[in-house]
Amino acid sequence: MNFDIRIETTVKDAFENAKNLVMRLPDLTKDFFKYSIIGYIIEAKSLKDSFIYAKYWALIWGNIFKFVGKLLFKRGPTGIIRELRRYPWILQLLGVTKLLRRITHGRKGIYLESTGLLIHSITVTLVEKLEEVFYQPELLLISEDLVPPEIATAMGLKVWLVEAMGILLPFLNPEAALNFIDEAENAGMNPDSCSFVKSAVGMVIKEQMPKGSALVSSNMPCDAGMTSYSYIQKKFDVPIYRVDVPYHFYNERAEKLFVEDLKGMIAFLEEHTPGRIDWTKLREICETRNRMMEIEGELWDMMQARPAPLASEAVWLSHLWHFYMFPGHKAGIQLFKRLVELAQVNLTAKIPAVENEKYRAVLWNPPFPHFVDIFNQVERAHGITLIMDSMSYNRHEPIDTSTPETMLNGLARIIMQGPMVRHTRGPAENYLDDIFRCYKQFDLDMVWIANHVGCKSGQAMNGILREKCREMKIPLLILDYDLVDPRIVSHGGMMSQVDDFMENVMKNKQPLAVAH
Amino acid sequence: MNVFQELLESPQNHLVEQAVSDGRIPIGYSCSFVPEAFLMADKLVPVRLHAPGVAGTEIADIYLSNFICTYARSLLEFAIDDRFDLIQGWVFVPSCAHMQRLYDNLEYLKKPAFNHILDVPRKVTEATIAWQAEELRMLADKLSTHFGVDMSDDSLMKAIREWNEFAKIIQSIGELRKKPSPPITGTEFQTLLMAALVSPKNLILPKIQEFRKEIEQRDGVGQFRSRLMVMGSHLHDPEFIRVIESQGGLVVADLFCTGSIPGFKPVEVNGNPIRILAEHTFKKTLCPRMMEDFDRRLQTIIDTVKEYKVDGIVIEIIKFCDLWGVDSMPMVSALRKEGIPVLKLEREYSMGGEGQLRTRVQAFIESMGK
Repeated sequence: MNFDIRIETTVKDAFENAKNLVMRLPDLTKDFFKYSIIGYIIEAKSLKDSFIYAKYWALIWGNIFKFVGKLLFKRGPTGIIRELRRYPWILQLLGVTKLLRRITHGRKGIYLESTGLLIHSITVTLVEKLEEVFYQPELLLISEDLVPPEIATAMGLKVWLVEAMGILLPFLNPEAALNFIDEAENAGMNPDSCSFVKSAVGMVIKEQMPKGSALVSSNMPCDAGMTSYSYIQKKFDVPIYRVDVPYHFYNERAEKLFVEDLKGMIAFLEEHTPGRIDWTKLREICETRNRMMEIEGELWDMMQARPAPLASEAVWLSHLWHFYMFPGHKAGIQLFKRLVELAQVNLTAKIPAVENEKYRAVLWNPPFPHFVDIFNQVERAHGITLIMDSMSYNRHEPIDTSTPETMLNGLARIIMQGPMVRHTRGPAENYLDDIFRCYKQFDLDMVWIANHVGCKSGQAMNGILREKCREMKIPLLILDYDLVDPRIVSHGGMMSQVDDFMENVMKNKQPLAVAH
Repeated sequence: MNVFQELLESPQNHLVEQAVSDGRIPIGYSCSFVPEAFLMADKLVPVRLHAPGVAGTEIADIYLSNFICTYARSLLEFAIDDRFDLIQGWVFVPSCAHMQRLYDNLEYLKKPAFNHILDVPRKVTEATIAWQAEELRMLADKLSTHFGVDMSDDSLMKAIREWNEFAKIIQSIGELRKKPSPPITGTEFQTLLMAALVSPKNLILPKIQEFRKEIEQRDGVGQFRSRLMVMGSHLHDPEFIRVIESQGGLVVADLFCTGSIPGFKPVEVNGNPIRILAEHTFKKTLCPRMMEDFDRRLQTIIDTVKEYKVDGIVIEIIKFCDLWGVDSMPMVSALRKEGIPVLKLEREYSMGGEGQLRTRVQAFIESMGK
């Protein structure tokens, strides 16, 4: 009897699903063309733009095919199926050109090229990372995102950042992390904790996170992130080392303590992984990182000009991806060099990246992964140009590579004084002064706070910030949203907040274009 | 017991007032990583910050937002309302994001003349114990300069001995709860302990000793359906325990910031007092803010369950507390794996939703077959 009911239900469900699919076909087809290369070519403003877009589209797909081909060759068709069952989220990566399409909408010339270049660079390095997971699992170290990977890389280990997919997947599909978030909440994690942490934990629970020989985590940047590693460690059942950044870190005493902690981490990794510290390799990585920062500095200098020669993802996403995930990687140097060249062309010719640049903005706190194209939309709707963001705004002395000790000192400082880390510890000034310094340095018109509902530390600073901004006459938009979960505040809700702010605060009643 | 209840009715009770009129200096603190004994040196008086009867946090919500735990918001609200006017100095610990930002907002809105953050590390190694000792030394120097108090080793050692007296009696009362028929309820114990934490020790000690004698004469507190342990975030209002006990669950053990496990083991008086206090603080405090303490905490809970013959555990978490909220996920599964029934409750700092609490506890006790 039960068996019959089950069959009937299954058939009914299949029929309903098929019916839904058929009914959605016109929309799906429309979407497909909208986000396909055909859609772009139809919309493109010039043949040159079509060529630029097509070039990066082809390069990105070329990389993906190369990756799939290699996997097919090494593992065979059943191997691929096995890997896809283990890591089903990999399929989301096929949406990378859709991401390219979303964030290049309406862009042209050098600005378009910079975005294509960046997405291509992300694809190349991501494929490299996935190949490490597949082909060198014995060298895999699972690490928290704010523990920089330079040291482990110099030990010959392949670093997988636990939280990386929590950011990347919503870029590709706004709803990609939802099942991970739900999984974590169902397992008992408090629903009000950060969704970024929940998505990482959910991925671990679903056993879709690569598993390495050891774990490295820290007390950064927040309580939820730090505490989640008790669970992750139990689940992985591998040894863990936790680095501890002091609250007061702008002093030699803290640096000394933290360097000792890093030495402890090296000893731990040598004991529990095949990795061995290679100081020469660490020197190379640090020097590449220094060079990357130097080139990025040139880009920043140019970004101070009005109108800005480049904007948005070329600034924030290039930093986020290459400095956090691949510091010291040659791909970063190549990308930043090319971005500087492109910016120089625009600067010399006085061509704005954003047509009709009207307002220059800084985004504080992590960006909007599930609504990554918001800046594309607001630049077209209101002429708002994203010049800088808190995750990129990180200046420090180059690492002194003369001895192992000086390298560790330099890395310790970079970790302790890095974005999010310095913003979530020490007195309020660490958070506030940075915003005002950035505002002045880049000649900005407004400050945007990405007011992630799960970030308690940031939420509790808004009152003071609001009053300080009023005193200093800085227009402030506190944009409520959830970092990874679009169900909390919809894209429409986020855009309404921007529109209201533009109308009520900036008195910009007539948008330049209807972009949404 | 009424004596202790009265002491909890306002954030600064009449014993604190008496101490101030005697020329003593109340120092407010909110975290167990601030060693109480340290703040008992010379004329100093440690006062655990609490916000009894807080009715709303309207102003604090504007600054701290609605997403910060109600304990932090309540303290800020009381501070803005001048309800802590006798407190002459504040000592915070960056125990969590909420406390850090409470410090920042207090500095901004009502800058205290003395406001300090004790930078307590989040793991225990030889290096971090040394760091903690240095932190205490710096605080001692600051207190000495600001208030002119004697923070010398001798003075600190004297304070440690005084604190030990207090800890011994609290511990001895706590031990009585191991009995098959304890002479004290969880509500009484929590009232006594909280009163002791918010009052000058020398003034409240005679009352505690008297109470100790009184309960020695008792046979027990009557029949209860089960023996429970409560653990979790800050719990200052004994009313929470009273509601649990009203459903037949006698609370015999507590592991929270103002509970007795494992916090009242006397300090070993041997060596440099600052170093001793640094070590002791790490030993006596079990909090999820400590990154590497999960297994020690779990083991302590399991041992407590055995020692106190606990039937089930109630984990109480203040809404928006990420430390306890996230930590409870592996903790609940680990405890259930050990065969210990667990009830996880979310609550606000001030007592509310009594009916819901009653129903949940009743159902929990029934689910244990009691």
